[in-house]
Amino acid sequence: MNQEIKYSEQELITLLQQRDEKAFGYLYDNYAGALIGVILSIVNDGEIANDILQEVFVNVWKKIEFYDATKGRLFTWLLNIARNAAIDKVRSKDFRNNQNTVTIAENTELNTVKPIFQPNTDFIGLKKILANLKDEYRILIDLSYFQGFTHDEIAKALSIPLGTVKTRIRTALIQLKEML
Amino acid sequence: MNIKEYILSGIVESYVMGLASEQESKEFEQLCSQYPELVEARTSFELKLEKQAMENAIAPPIGSKEKIWTAIQSRSVTKPTKIINMEPTTRKSSGTSWVAAASIILLLGAAYFAYDFYSKNKKLQTSNKELQSQVDKLSEEQKWMGEVQKMMSDPNVAVVNLVGTTPAKASANVYWDTAGTSPNVYLVVKNMPKLPSDKQYQLWSIINGQDGKLQPTSMGLFDVGDDGKVILKMNNTQKADAFAITIENRGNTGGPTLEQLQSMGKPKL
Repeated sequence: MNQEIKYSEQELITLLQQRDEKAFGYLYDNYAGALIGVILSIVNDGEIANDILQEVFVNVWKKIEFYDATKGRLFTWLLNIARNAAIDKVRSKDFRNNQNTVTIAENTELNTVKPIFQPNTDFIGLKKILANLKDEYRILIDLSYFQGFTHDEIAKALSIPLGTVKTRIRTALIQLKEML
Repeated sequence: MNIKEYILSGIVESYVMGLASEQESKEFEQLCSQYPELVEARTSFELKLEKQAMENAIAPPIGSKEKIWTAIQSRSVTKPTKIINMEPTTRKSSGTSWVAAASIILLLGAAYFAYDFYSKNKKLQTSNKELQSQVDKLSEEQKWMGEVQKMMSDPNVAVVNLVGTTPAKASANVYWDTAGTSPNVYLVVKNMPKLPSDKQYQLWSIINGQDGKLQPTSMGLFDVGDDGKVILKMNNTQKADAFAITIENRGNTGGPTLEQLQSMGKPKL
């Protein structure tokens, strides 16, 4: 793929909708690295991350018609697809079973679908920034953004009122933005 | 609504990062269509997030791109296969309809052949009957011809030439068994015109009476076909001084109409 070519998002989307091979190349060359970084920050496993990356691109290729530019940029859409795919993987039974062999203690916790409260030590990307947040905020972002728990689930798991979860997440996100 | 406060509430980040609830997202999207500054704020955060992600990009494994492309290609190849996969349901119905269509065709075919065989058989039966009747007719004719021939060669059988008395020159031969052993008289018509359907030829045996009057006796009425030729078996007579053929009304029961005498002949005795 010619790296020299620079498509506007609209051009790229149009070409993707036409199932243009060059557009795929451009999409991959420009976004695969960023996306695998995000995926890796959630799954912590290179091989699994690669599988998810493939799944993401195949899905994007199939569902490009569903992208709505009025709702946000293409990368935001890609990022959320990648994040959701990674979270789905983490929450899937086979992934948990594999991970559970590492720690028995976590195993029992995970079997009752309870959030894991230990943040990953090898921070990459957003997670690196996340470390700069106060614990009470960091945990909430980790649970919601990186582990995909709903506000309701977090409120129940941490025994915090739902309203508090919501405002704390928002505050954490504002702080996170300032660190970007 | 104070849009500035809304922008600073953290909803923008929450929405972009996919952490807003469905209701919040709907509201946000709706407000975006009203407030360009909200879209601006959203895009600004999106770009920040994008930049951060790009800076933290990790090189995917070599060959991953080709692998994914192959996967995409095979997916797009499996697209038609998917349609084919759906075919079992379609195929079932189309299969059944195909079978139905085929059986209808077979049925129609069978019906046609059955009818064809039936009609052919019927035709064959008919022609067979025709042939049989022809064979019967021929064998009868042959038998009869045999009789005729036998009679003709019989020295006791007299041949009487009936000579035409009209311009038509209607002529015939009467084979007459004078010995009386054979009960038959055969008339062989050589040349006689076909008559109107209400008329018939009649063969007479004529005896000269003691008083000099002619005594005609009918030996039978007969028809002549288009070719003007016919061989007929007539009533026998023991005695005849002459034979005559007249034209009479069909089914004549009276005497001969001598004005309509066609031919006459005397046995050579």
